[in-house]
Amino acid sequence: MNFYKPKNLIELFEISEKIKGKKYFLAGGTDINVQIKNKIITNEPIIYINELEELKGIRETEEDLILGALLSYKELLDSDLIEKHLPFLKNSLCNFASPILQTMATIGGNIANGSPTADIIPLLLVLDANIILMAKSKIRYLLLNDFFIGYKKFNMKKNEIIGGVQIAKNAEKGYKTYYRKVGSRKALTIAKVALAGLKKNNEFKIAVGSLNEYPRRLHKIEDYLNVTTSPDSVKIEELLQQEITPISDMRSDKDYRFQVCLNLLLNFIEA
Amino acid sequence: MKIDFILNDKPVSLVTEPMRRLLDVLREDFGLTGTKESCGEGECGACTVLLDDKPVTSCIVNLIHVQNKKVLTSEGISQKPLGKLLIDCFDETNAVQCGFCFPGFLVSSYYYLKSEGEPNLEKIRTALSGNICRCTGYQKIFDSVMMACKRKQEQEK
Repeated sequence: MNFYKPKNLIELFEISEKIKGKKYFLAGGTDINVQIKNKIITNEPIIYINELEELKGIRETEEDLILGALLSYKELLDSDLIEKHLPFLKNSLCNFASPILQTMATIGGNIANGSPTADIIPLLLVLDANIILMAKSKIRYLLLNDFFIGYKKFNMKKNEIIGGVQIAKNAEKGYKTYYRKVGSRKALTIAKVALAGLKKNNEFKIAVGSLNEYPRRLHKIEDYLNVTTSPDSVKIEELLQQEITPISDMRSDKDYRFQVCLNLLLNFIEA
Repeated sequence: MKIDFILNDKPVSLVTEPMRRLLDVLREDFGLTGTKESCGEGECGACTVLLDDKPVTSCIVNLIHVQNKKVLTSEGISQKPLGKLLIDCFDETNAVQCGFCFPGFLVSSYYYLKSEGEPNLEKIRTALSGNICRCTGYQKIFDSVMMACKRKQEQEK
């Protein structure tokens, strides 16, 4: 397995450009090492990025917080800036994986791994976060909801890397917030169903995880709720049928997932 | 690749593959077999060590991750005053059954005692939630850590 350790982003893009085939970027390693163990990754080149200063930490601008791709969950949970501006995000993630995994796991890795159950995604979706995609001479900001296009497939060019996410400081201000992750136990659990929601008067933002090939906003239900004054649960169930495609797997079955999602949704709407 | 780091308070250096698991390097190159392998996927906590004073599962940490950093294993912790205090409490409470998970629990408990240390059951349970004991002796493990927190507070009075 070829191994590369760029010193900065410029070197990273140079190395990355030269490698034509499949390659992996190693950040905290909490997913990649499991894939190596399970022989999903065998001989592909590894580019170590975990020490790249440009992708670390949290940066504050007048209106936004920029979370670097290498921000660890521990850093996110310990951050005063997150506590001050995005307490809902913080409180929702306090049961992420386990306190041990929070040390190494990064938010960029959580996104790049492309898991339909990635904990942070439904939260970022309701916060209208942008993903920052960096190339050698260009940075672009894309609404995270437009980033996913299929199972582990992204709206991303070959020469781009995930630089981080941008969240407006007032993203959750004035909203009633809701987050439920349903799993078999509290720590070290992979969600069977996750639902994040924000609401203010008739404005609803709702996103779910573990129910489609990738986490997403429930736009049809949002649109319905945004215009109706007395939401009808039968209509909501009908719309939910169109929005989610739960599957049966080792963790749960599709009927259970659908019912739990509906319950959470009605619970959130009525709350 | 040459890798330098501080292992249990002593600088060490070795030339090896940067992608090797820290767990394997600790056990095979340094004979530190207190660090155990169980799940190999970061889910059980048996291989927990401290990396720059924070807990990590060494089965999913690559050697490159520790370059120029500090690694503290259960062996290193057992030589420290707070480590000794914890071991006494685990001993007095009879909290260790088969013992396989114990080094990992010791590391997580040590991190909690050092960074927080409040004798608060809820916080202790959360701090140890990344460690699994298949003898299911959790209650006595929590009792031990609670005892250690109280003793530490008394010592500091």
